[in-house]
Amino acid sequence: MPNVKPPARRVTTYKIVQGIIGVVLAGYLIWRLFVVFIANPSYGPDTWARFAIAGLILGSVYALVAIGYTLVYGILRMINFAHGDIMMIGAFGGYFVFEALKSIPTPTLADPELTFLNAHPVLSVIAAFIVGVSIAALSGYFLEKIAYRPLRGAPRLVPLISAIGASIFLENAAQLLFGAQRRDYANPIVLTRGEGWGIPIGGSNVILTYTGVLTVVISTLIMIALYLLVMRTRLGRSMRAVSENKQVAALMGIDVDGVISRTFIISGALAGAAGVMWGIHLGLVYHFVGFIPGIKAFTAAVLGGIGNIPGAMIGGLFLGLVESLGPAGLGINFQLKDVIAFGILVLVLIFRPTGIIGEVLTEEKV
Amino acid sequence: MKKQLRHAVNAGGIFGIITIFLFLIGFTGTAADLFSDLFRNKNAAPFLSLNPQMLNMLIFLGLIGLWAGAYGSRKSKSQTDDPWGAALIGGLTAGLVHGLLVSGLALLVGTLNLRGVRINVYLSELLPDAIKLFLVGKSPLQGATVHIVFLTLTGFLGGLLSRGVGRGSWRVRSGAAWNSILEKISQQSIVKQVRGSRNTRYVVYGILLLLVFLLPLRAGPYWNYTIGTVGIYVLLGLGLNIVVGLAGLLDLGYVAFFAIGAYTMALLTAPQPHHLMWSFWIALPIGVLLAALTGLLLGAPVLRMRGDYLAIVTLGFGEIIRILSKSDALTPFTGGPSGVKAIGFPTLFGKPFNSGVDFVYLIFLAVLLIIFVTNRLQNSRVGRAWEAMREDETVSRAMGINTLTQKLLAFAIGAAFAGLGGALFASRNVFTGPEDHNLMVSINVVAVVIVGGMGNIPGVIAGALMLKGLPEVLRQLEDYRVMVFGALLIVMMLWRPAGMIPSARRKMEVEKDKGVIETPDEGRGK
Repeated sequence: MPNVKPPARRVTTYKIVQGIIGVVLAGYLIWRLFVVFIANPSYGPDTWARFAIAGLILGSVYALVAIGYTLVYGILRMINFAHGDIMMIGAFGGYFVFEALKSIPTPTLADPELTFLNAHPVLSVIAAFIVGVSIAALSGYFLEKIAYRPLRGAPRLVPLISAIGASIFLENAAQLLFGAQRRDYANPIVLTRGEGWGIPIGGSNVILTYTGVLTVVISTLIMIALYLLVMRTRLGRSMRAVSENKQVAALMGIDVDGVISRTFIISGALAGAAGVMWGIHLGLVYHFVGFIPGIKAFTAAVLGGIGNIPGAMIGGLFLGLVESLGPAGLGINFQLKDVIAFGILVLVLIFRPTGIIGEVLTEEKV
Repeated sequence: MKKQLRHAVNAGGIFGIITIFLFLIGFTGTAADLFSDLFRNKNAAPFLSLNPQMLNMLIFLGLIGLWAGAYGSRKSKSQTDDPWGAALIGGLTAGLVHGLLVSGLALLVGTLNLRGVRINVYLSELLPDAIKLFLVGKSPLQGATVHIVFLTLTGFLGGLLSRGVGRGSWRVRSGAAWNSILEKISQQSIVKQVRGSRNTRYVVYGILLLLVFLLPLRAGPYWNYTIGTVGIYVLLGLGLNIVVGLAGLLDLGYVAFFAIGAYTMALLTAPQPHHLMWSFWIALPIGVLLAALTGLLLGAPVLRMRGDYLAIVTLGFGEIIRILSKSDALTPFTGGPSGVKAIGFPTLFGKPFNSGVDFVYLIFLAVLLIIFVTNRLQNSRVGRAWEAMREDETVSRAMGINTLTQKLLAFAIGAAFAGLGGALFASRNVFTGPEDHNLMVSINVVAVVIVGGMGNIPGVIAGALMLKGLPEVLRQLEDYRVMVFGALLIVMMLWRPAGMIPSARRKMEVEKDKGVIETPDEGRGK
């Protein structure tokens, strides 16, 4: 596309409407903050701390999934709609590892009914992560190979529809395979959900759960590793090159198809890790578990500017916090927390379609 | 030879995974049930100590085995000759690999089952009965042997049939003969005349219409309900067809407009929760207008975005509407999770439309109206603008089309159709609630439009019949329906991106690359 000279700035109706919406929203927000914190403080600092901790944990999971969206979007300019379902596959992988280890008896003198899961909790968690991550990575690889690769170069709508089909297929295949019931994640006893270190804030004890800390630590480690991978390794360099320009990258001797395959493997692995953490921390796994987190993670990716890896991390954390603090802060029903996430998505697209940080799209921003 | 072997092993592996998957989701048992309905052999005498159910399952597996063999015996495209030996070995190898995989699974599952592990806790379809059926009532080792022998044999047979019947020299000759006969028939002047004349088309349409109008009188209440549902999906499909098929905007939250139509009808005509009790004929246009208005309001900010953002935002919007209609906060206004009951029905010239048959006719009328409107729109300046926009937005803007206005128009008209569908749906069901408006409705409609043929009215009707009507005929397959939708979306995109019955223009675009350019007969010279 030739460079088109930007038209002279003029005030359109759209801009005016945008401004009005902005002023109204900002006014409402300030009023709510005033009410919540000064005029009529209904929650103490301990409750806010609880919300913030929950938001941070949730946000770190969203961030991992969001990076998967962003990686694929950066390279193929397509939304991998089935990404949330790959997270579901990872969650199921971890679930089955825990169930299998739970059934292996390793009796000791002190406790004859000890199982492997509780005897070696660290090994068990590592095994769950390895299995969950590899199954998810494998599904990412096959997903790309079967549903996306033959459609390379087709109009944009075509791979998107194929991705939606893949998402529906995966969800319902999982339902048929494993049944529709919700399953409890059998954590090792040391990682019992809801237990953790107590921190005295504002006169009461705020619990920092073990599972939550595990989630945040692991996802931070993974994000650092990913950053190093993209910025420092040969594969990362070729990924960046392919996302700049496929033709030129191919001319430079980069195996474009291979790089795309590996990108899907990496993004699937991230989703798998997120799925296992989701299961360990929140404890429920079923065929639809990836759908809502998937959409929210996409929102997070858009928030941070799609195609932008640090943006996806920050967007994920931001979304997790807003979702958890939002209902209390805005004084609306907690049932409506999903509405906040979708509302933010619409608002970001209206006011700043390139995201908070700005997206990394060099060309063809159609 | 080596290449052929590798291909055959791959084919066997793929089919092995497919068969295992079908077994794990319980489809082998369902297929056996289907066959026993088809052959009516439920009470037949056992054959070789196998009861009819097991035989039926083996028949199903045998069909897959034949296919695997036929696929495995295929030669590569670069190969010019097609030797018998390679084809047979290919079929045999594919069958062997297929059989090995399946029997491995049978052995594993059978042994676990014998040891008393309750597999169906984890894989919900693997009930002890299903496992027994899969092992044809024998011990795991014997069952696995049966599978490996049977699948290898059918694979070999598949290769034989494929090489002998499918690709034999007589096939080529008979194909040529058939073509020449067809050619001769189409050369006859009378055939040409009938084909070319516009009256033929009218006669065909007339007969179809007559059939469709007579059908509800003969069908029972159940089938009338199904026909009505198909009709509503035709309405929704035609509406979404304008948005997706013509204007090229992927809308995944189409159910939101459907819900707005349904809730408007419900809240205005029902005694609870507002006690308005307005007439159906007042509520209907209000519902349609409200849906169109919401389309405009949602579209105005969102339609400036890239196409794929639109998909997610509309999806989110659809979920917002559902969550809102379900939430406690709005219960006094929308009836909350329990929905709205006793929705009003229409009265025309003193005659109340409240039986199933009446509603089928009402829905037919609406469908005819929408077909007329869509047809006129499609061939108008606006329709051309939409299609131009779908193909290339930049170029169409350069041609002087105001793309934003056109997109908004498409969005609003599509939303209005959905509102109409929703209002009719709510009034027919006498009830509407949040679960009537979940994401699956949007996905069904998208599937109807895409499978049927984007941008094409007969395609949408065929899609609705196939996706909403066919599953009612094959009730046993109900559980697999949504999964098949997903798979169909992928397969359609890979195999026929223009849909089952593609519009002439789209077909031309797809076939352009092959050097075959047809003259589109649609929308020209009017």
